[in-house]
Parts: sequence; C-alpha cells; structure tokens
Amino acid sequence: MSKVLAIDTSTSRTSVAIIDGDRVVFSGHRDGATAHGPSLPALVQEALAISEVDEVVVGMGPGPYTGLRVGIAFAQSFALAREIPVRGVCSLDAIAAQVAEKDFIITVDARRKEVYWARYTDGVRVGDPAVNFPADVSGAPLHTDLFPDLQALVKLPGNITEPIYLRRPDAVATADRP
Amino acid sequence: MSEPIVLGIETSCDETAVGIVRGRTLLANVIASSVEEHARFGGVVPEIASRAHLEAMIPTLHQALKDSKLSLKDIDAVAVTGGPGLVGALLVGVGSAAGLALGLNKPIYAVNHLAAHVSVDSLTHTNPLDPTIALLVSGGHSSLLQVEDITGSITKLGETMDDAAGEAFDKIARVMKLGFPGGPAIDSLSHEGSSTAIDFPRGLTTSNDWQIRPFDFSFSGLKTAVARYLEATPDYKKGDVAASFQEAIVDVLLLKSVAACKQTGINSLVIAGGVAANSRLRAVAQERCDKAGIQLRVPSPGLCTDNGAMVAALGSLMVSAGRTPSPVAFDADSSLPVTTISL
Repeated sequence: MSKVLAIDTSTSRTSVAIIDGDRVVFSGHRDGATAHGPSLPALVQEALAISEVDEVVVGMGPGPYTGLRVGIAFAQSFALAREIPVRGVCSLDAIAAQVAEKDFIITVDARRKEVYWARYTDGVRVGDPAVNFPADVSGAPLHTDLFPDLQALVKLPGNITEPIYLRRPDAVATADRP
Repeated sequence: MSEPIVLGIETSCDETAVGIVRGRTLLANVIASSVEEHARFGGVVPEIASRAHLEAMIPTLHQALKDSKLSLKDIDAVAVTGGPGLVGALLVGVGSAAGLALGLNKPIYAVNHLAAHVSVDSLTHTNPLDPTIALLVSGGHSSLLQVEDITGSITKLGETMDDAAGEAFDKIARVMKLGFPGGPAIDSLSHEGSSTAIDFPRGLTTSNDWQIRPFDFSFSGLKTAVARYLEATPDYKKGDVAASFQEAIVDVLLLKSVAACKQTGINSLVIAGGVAANSRLRAVAQERCDKAGIQLRVPSPGLCTDNGAMVAALGSLMVSAGRTPSPVAFDADSSLPVTTISL
C-alpha cells in the first residue's frame, strides 16, 4: 500500500497528513492565514520523522492565492526531489466529503468579501467551483467553516495540474487608464 | 566539503530564476521572465508575477539541472531569496526551496536578495570579495553598503530617499514613451545624443548634503526636471534627453561611491543590481576608479539583473564560511533589511 503525503494550504489552515490506505499515519495542522510559508515545512518535517512517503497529493484550491501557491510549489518540488508522483485535487471536494447531507453548499473565504463555493448533491459536486459575494450564494444549506479532510483528499480521483484561481489578476493596462 | 554544490532559487520580483554553482564556479543560470506580461501595465503586477513563478518553477529547475549536467542528488545545499521582495512572489520560491530541501534532506539557506546581488561578483573575480564598498542599484533599491564580510556583516552607509535609480529610468522612459523596463531603452537611445546637452540636477550634492547625508541619493528632483524640460521643449531630441538624464544619475552614483571608498579607506568597489548593466555607468565607473586607485568589480551584465546564480553564490559562500543554515520553518520577509544577510 502506498504512503501518501497529503498537503492542503487552500484555507487559513495549513494541513499535512500521511495516509496509508485507511490508516492515518500522521495528521497535523497549524492555523494562520499568512503562516503557510513557515507552517508547511515544519509540519512536513514532523510527518517525515514518523514515516517515509511514496506519493504526494495536494489541494489545488480554490483558496487565497499566496498560501495556495506555497502548498503547490512545495508539493511539486518535494515530489521532484524524491522522484515520486504528485497529483492535484479540488480542495472544496475534500471539505465536502465530511458532510453527510443530500444537498449542500461548501464555501470558503476568498478575501475581498467574497467566497469560493460549490454545491454538492448525493456526495457529488454539481458544476465547477465559483467565486461570488455570500449574498449571491444560496439554494441549499451552507457549510462555511470547515477545513479539508486529508483522508478524503487523497481518495479524490483525477489530477488537476493548474491552481484553481477563478479570478484574473487585477491590473489595468496603461493604455486603458483614464 | 571544500567545493559545495548549491542550487539557488530567486523569485522576489518578476524573474523565476534557478542557478547552480560548485564553490565559486557557475554551472547553470536559467531565468524565466514574465516581464513581457507586465509591459502593458507599465510595471510589475504582483499577482501576474506570482502566477508566472508557479508555472515556471519546475520547468526552470529542470532546465538548470540539465545545463549543469547534474541531478538533484548531487546538490549539497539549497539557497533561496528570503527577502526583500514581493511577498507573494517570494513565497513561491520559498515553498519550492523548502520542498527541495526536505525532499533531498539537505540544508536550506534563506538569504538576502541585496546581499546576493553583491555576492555574485565572487563568480566573476576569484580574489576575495570583502571588505568592499558596494553600490547596489536596481529598480527597487539604491544603496551604498560597506561590506566587511558578505556572509556576516554589512553596514548601510546610505540609500535613496525617494525613487530607486532603476525606477527613475522606468519613469522617464514612460514619459518619453520608450516602454518598460526603461533602463535598456534609455541606455541604447543615449548613444544617439550628448550627455552634456542638458544640465540636469544632481540630487543631494550641495555642500550641506555632503555634510549631513553624504551617501544618500534622491532622484525625484531629477525626474521632475526632466518632465519639465520635456513639457517646455516640444521638439526635444530624445537622444540628448536620454544621455543627459542618464549622465546625471551615473554622475551622482559614482561621486558618492568614490567618496565612500575614500572615507572608509576601502579601495574596492562592487557595483551590483540591474542598473549595473548600464553601459555608461560601467564605463564612467572604470574611469573614475582608475583615477582614484580603486579596484572596480562589476559582474557581467547577465549576472547584474535578478538571477538564481547570485542566490546560489551567496549560499555557497555561507556553506564555505561555516554559517548555520536557516531553520526549516522561516518566514519570507518582504522588507528584509540589507543588514540581515540570512534568515
């Protein structure tokens, strides 16, 4: 069985785990919306003291960009150094996996008073994640304060290779300025 | 480990750069720049730069390893720019470097971007770098430094009170519609004009300034003077403005650099940072240093602008000097002072 290093930095929490099948070999997290830089290596060092790993799965968001990129850059470079595979998955799906309701919506903070969100029916995401003001997100019960479950994260299928940004960078070309 | 192999990562602004050195020998220096994506905005857009860093990081690492004919297993230490710079941009490099260091089980050195600019001269000139005076001039910084020990002791003698020298180049280039970045455009245009055509002001060079802030710079007055000249002279000669503006900057940078050497009794000057690639600065620096008996050291133009080799170079010097590596959990510092050489 493969020992998977699971990493998610898409929320204000930095989460790291080592998952071996149904067994959680290591699980740790540190809170802090601007602390992913120091938190992630510290947690991975703790994890590696307990077990080696042979695969990496990382949450590709959506989530605040700076923290999100720390996790992705780290995961890709760690996998390169170890010559092991790395795979990206949707972080919202790893949050939704903890909710046992028939129809619900997961939201996470997107800064600028907006939220990233997706709707789930019978445990399956309906459509792509989106970013909106909270007032514009409705239609099912909302879960707003959950963090990704890393046991669920490593079980998600597929491989997302680009960060899920959902917004373009803010910038106005000089030619378009008033 | 007499000749450590160090991989350096630089992502503090808009270049995703990886360099590899063995001791003081350059093995690879790969730079992926997002500058073209920023040009239409007239400056670096942090979010665009950060996205480009993440996209370019792994391919740039692969290319550097290929160029050096090494594999990651050969690397003895990882170095990374820990600051100063754009925090979102820095953190891509920091995340990647931490992943490599933990993946390889090797030490990590989080170093100062500005000190790294100075240290890169160790790849070009083999004699000891320090002690030296260093003029650090780029788009974000203009400082005069006294470098007693590049791995342990740097004192700031002075810095710009307003714009950085490179920023002044960018702003004047924008007014003259020469595009971004402005340095290379003004440098090449200056060859078509006269450096003595217009007498633009030299900031902070009155006798009173020499008393109270001898090693500080100011370029905002120069910028205003050029803008006023352009307004008042609709048929101005672009070459003359470029050459005369450039001369004013070069003149004041070197007046103060030579004065710093004389005051400290250190007969060595390193010029580093992107503006050190300016051909007029390099030429006048050589003339004035020769006359004053100062040994001038300027890295090759390709090593003056932001690059990964300079980060690897400083990392290598830190390893050789027996400096303690950074802790595994360090935080990038967007305003890291030049006096803090490593985190």
